Amino acid sequence: MLEPDLLIIGGGITGQCAALVAADAGAMVTIVDMQRNAGSHANAGSLHVQMQSRFLRLNPHLADNLESSLPLYMSAVAEWQALDAALGGVELTQQGGLMLADTPAQLDFLHQKAAREQKKGLDVEILYRDTLHRLAPWLSPHVVGAELCRNEGKLNPLIANRKMREALTARGVRFVQDQITHITDGPRPIAHGAQNYPAGAVLIASSWGGGQLAQPLGLRIQTPPEPLHMNITEAGAYEIQHLVQHAERPITLKQFRSGQVVIGGGWQANLARDDSAAPAIKPDSLLGNVALAARIAPGIGGLRVLRTWAGYNTPVDGKTTVGAVRDGGRVFVGLPGDAGYTLGPVVGRMAANAVLSLPQAVDPEPYSPARWRA
Amino acid sequence: MSQITFTFDGQDITCDQTSSVAAALTQAGHRAFRKTEGDAPRGIFCGMGVCQDCLVTIDGRPNQRACMTPAAGGLQVQTQSARPALTKPQDRTLTPHRLTPRVLVIGGGAGGLNAAIAAAESGAETVLLDERKVSGGQYFKQDADPTRDPLDAQQRAGRDLVTAAYAAGVTLIQSAEVWGAFDGPEIMATSPEAVYAIRPERLIVATGAYERPATIPGWTLPGVMTVGAAQTLWRSYRTLPGRRVALFGNGPLVAQVAAELVSGGAEVVCLAEAAPAPWSRPVAALDMVRRDPALAVKGLGLLSKLARNGVRVSHDTLPEQIEQAGDVLRVTYRQNGTLKTVKADAVCLNFGFQPQNEILRLLGARMSYDAQFDQLRVDRSPDCETSVPQVYAIGDCCGLGGAPAAAVEGRIAGRAAASDEAQPTPADLSLRARHGKFQDALWRVYAADRPLPEDAPPETLICRCEEVSKATLDAALADDPLDIGALKRATRIGMGRCQGRYCAPVVAGIMARRQGRPLEDLSYFAPRIPIKPVEIAAITAAETLLDAEQTPDA
Repeated sequence: MLEPDLLIIGGGITGQCAALVAADAGAMVTIVDMQRNAGSHANAGSLHVQMQSRFLRLNPHLADNLESSLPLYMSAVAEWQALDAALGGVELTQQGGLMLADTPAQLDFLHQKAAREQKKGLDVEILYRDTLHRLAPWLSPHVVGAELCRNEGKLNPLIANRKMREALTARGVRFVQDQITHITDGPRPIAHGAQNYPAGAVLIASSWGGGQLAQPLGLRIQTPPEPLHMNITEAGAYEIQHLVQHAERPITLKQFRSGQVVIGGGWQANLARDDSAAPAIKPDSLLGNVALAARIAPGIGGLRVLRTWAGYNTPVDGKTTVGAVRDGGRVFVGLPGDAGYTLGPVVGRMAANAVLSLPQAVDPEPYSPARWRA
Repeated sequence: MSQITFTFDGQDITCDQTSSVAAALTQAGHRAFRKTEGDAPRGIFCGMGVCQDCLVTIDGRPNQRACMTPAAGGLQVQTQSARPALTKPQDRTLTPHRLTPRVLVIGGGAGGLNAAIAAAESGAETVLLDERKVSGGQYFKQDADPTRDPLDAQQRAGRDLVTAAYAAGVTLIQSAEVWGAFDGPEIMATSPEAVYAIRPERLIVATGAYERPATIPGWTLPGVMTVGAAQTLWRSYRTLPGRRVALFGNGPLVAQVAAELVSGGAEVVCLAEAAPAPWSRPVAALDMVRRDPALAVKGLGLLSKLARNGVRVSHDTLPEQIEQAGDVLRVTYRQNGTLKTVKADAVCLNFGFQPQNEILRLLGARMSYDAQFDQLRVDRSPDCETSVPQVYAIGDCCGLGGAPAAAVEGRIAGRAAASDEAQPTPADLSLRARHGKFQDALWRVYAADRPLPEDAPPETLICRCEEVSKATLDAALADDPLDIGALKRATRIGMGRCQGRYCAPVVAGIMARRQGRPLEDLSYFAPRIPIKPVEIAAITAAETLLDAEQTPDA
């Protein structure tokens, strides 16, 4: 096997986008992936921009990290738009995202949040009852208002992943199944799994598996997986155009073009029983998540839940980490901080640009791995 | 028998009051119940609540299975569109129940009923969940109308078994469909009136099997159904699947159902068996007769009855294609290498069985692949306990064994689940072994070479739910997907309402042969909850069963 210019560990959306950018720049790229419980394979396709109330509630100490990342989220959406065009359509729609309020207090919280986000350049607006229900007539009458973030949207990850794979294959990117256990740093680093993979550069883009590869190289980064629950219904008429969240309750709700409604929003699942298994469903999450969705959008109550599954989110510290592990080194990391599927393409591009010393459109300095160095 | 009237797309349908919606529509000559996303008509296929193809809208509630829904006077039944409007359904009261019996049995067939009786008679509080309105399962297949005399000894034996279960003090909960199985084990089920969350001390899974059809062009057309679906129409609802019926399959059920339909007045225009004639395999045939002479004699009686009615079994015969030809279906089939055609109102298919092992797989029970039957078998101890402690499995959900074997296993598991000291009796163990040897001889007689799905024509639908063709599958295979999950994500094969029950055995085999790997548990789609699609209204009702403090992200 010829030694690649770039070996990417992790074949999710971040690694794949890095491969696309590098291959387009003429690099020979290999992706090595263990093919188990990839976050991107379980993702439900929300394109997040506004600060998720769920993250703020769970990680109040990381709110500043999230807020400072808002410009990156906007670049991420632009990157997805470019990708949608380049791949020939991934059902990307940008009708915006609604974060709902049931009470005046919740609406107050959204007002304050919107003001902070507006300062960061987000296109947000508070909608009161009448406007909101005209825009989204399927909402429960209990909803008193919402924050509309026009930057938000959704896409179909099944289509995106398939077309991405085709695009990479067409560009000669190689895919290898292996589990990398450690990396030897150096001018020509080597990734070690069942085989050894020397390369011109190595990029760690393996989300929840990334921390344990980066730690021996001197980064004190922890990347525990957060197993999250998701549900999908059978198809109904396409009526829900927005990405829907709630100011206080954990939920994301959206409808694919297929008419199927996808319900998620951070309800917990159990870690996988063993390496060959997927993360397991908790009954409380299934019942609580779906019942909450039906209270928000009563019209979905006539559909049946077809399937549930769980996937790993990797929140890290709420702030992306991208760049060289050490200054001038040839081992790089590309780890989105939360919302990995939304951020994957932009983080992948930044990582590839860093590897190839290409100009960066987004200033990578705030996201440098330096903050993890001992 | 009193009659009732409901409407289908505005037209009056009159039927027996114990009929199912599907049987009543069939009796009235309707074959197509719904339209798919691709605008194809669909109707009854499995007749047992598995395939999700006979969906109709009933009183404004979309996607109700006609085969599992009792007809009732005044119902407004409509052809199901692919994408119903998002309208809030009328509120229904579903009573939430939390049960903690010593023994929970899932499945009310030969195995489940015997297990529940044995457990209850051993003194254990025993609950049995059955998804059908009338218990008995697929073998005993009971009449929906309890006032009618049983059709034969088989139906009478089933009725007696149900009576015995009540007499033993078993709590039978009918029309209750299990959709959730969680570690614990914790079982969730829904009936038309209630939702159940059940945490038994011991669980006995007796969910039986479903039929394997033939994945050939036209197998999704209305009027094409499994042999068992046709049998249910007749035995439970005294309804014929059509006037002229063609049956294609492999194994003794096919001829049995042909004889039953003939006695009901149907004209069997073709009775095709994939295997060569039994007299071409005298050693296996004699072995089978020796193992169970009574059953063998019963089989011969059946064949002579068919012959008296002018029906002869066509051996070495396989269907190749089914087409709509005006009002009827035209089947092209190959008999001993010669292509022939036959026209029929209904075409029935059965090429073996698949165990309904979803609950066992979800709970993590260890599985082994059985090459003779091309299916997963759950690993079990001598008293039928799986690798998951306190979870037992009996009957055809463990791999095909037949109703008599299921009954013995039920007794063994029922006693073991009721009492930790119970040991299987030598008599039961030897009876179980005898049934096993009979099944082995039987299927050596019926062994048949079948074409591989790899050779199916490109237009063949591999996934009937998502309407994915063989051509699409081949295109995805060209990318060398690493496993069946990658293939599923690339093609949508297995993402539909039947949860991959019909396509999984087909694509698992194709993938394994391509990769030169043995089949195993991981060769099949990962098991997912819900086991069957579950109404959101049922989930909302079940939510009240949760403890108040169990909220996420607390």
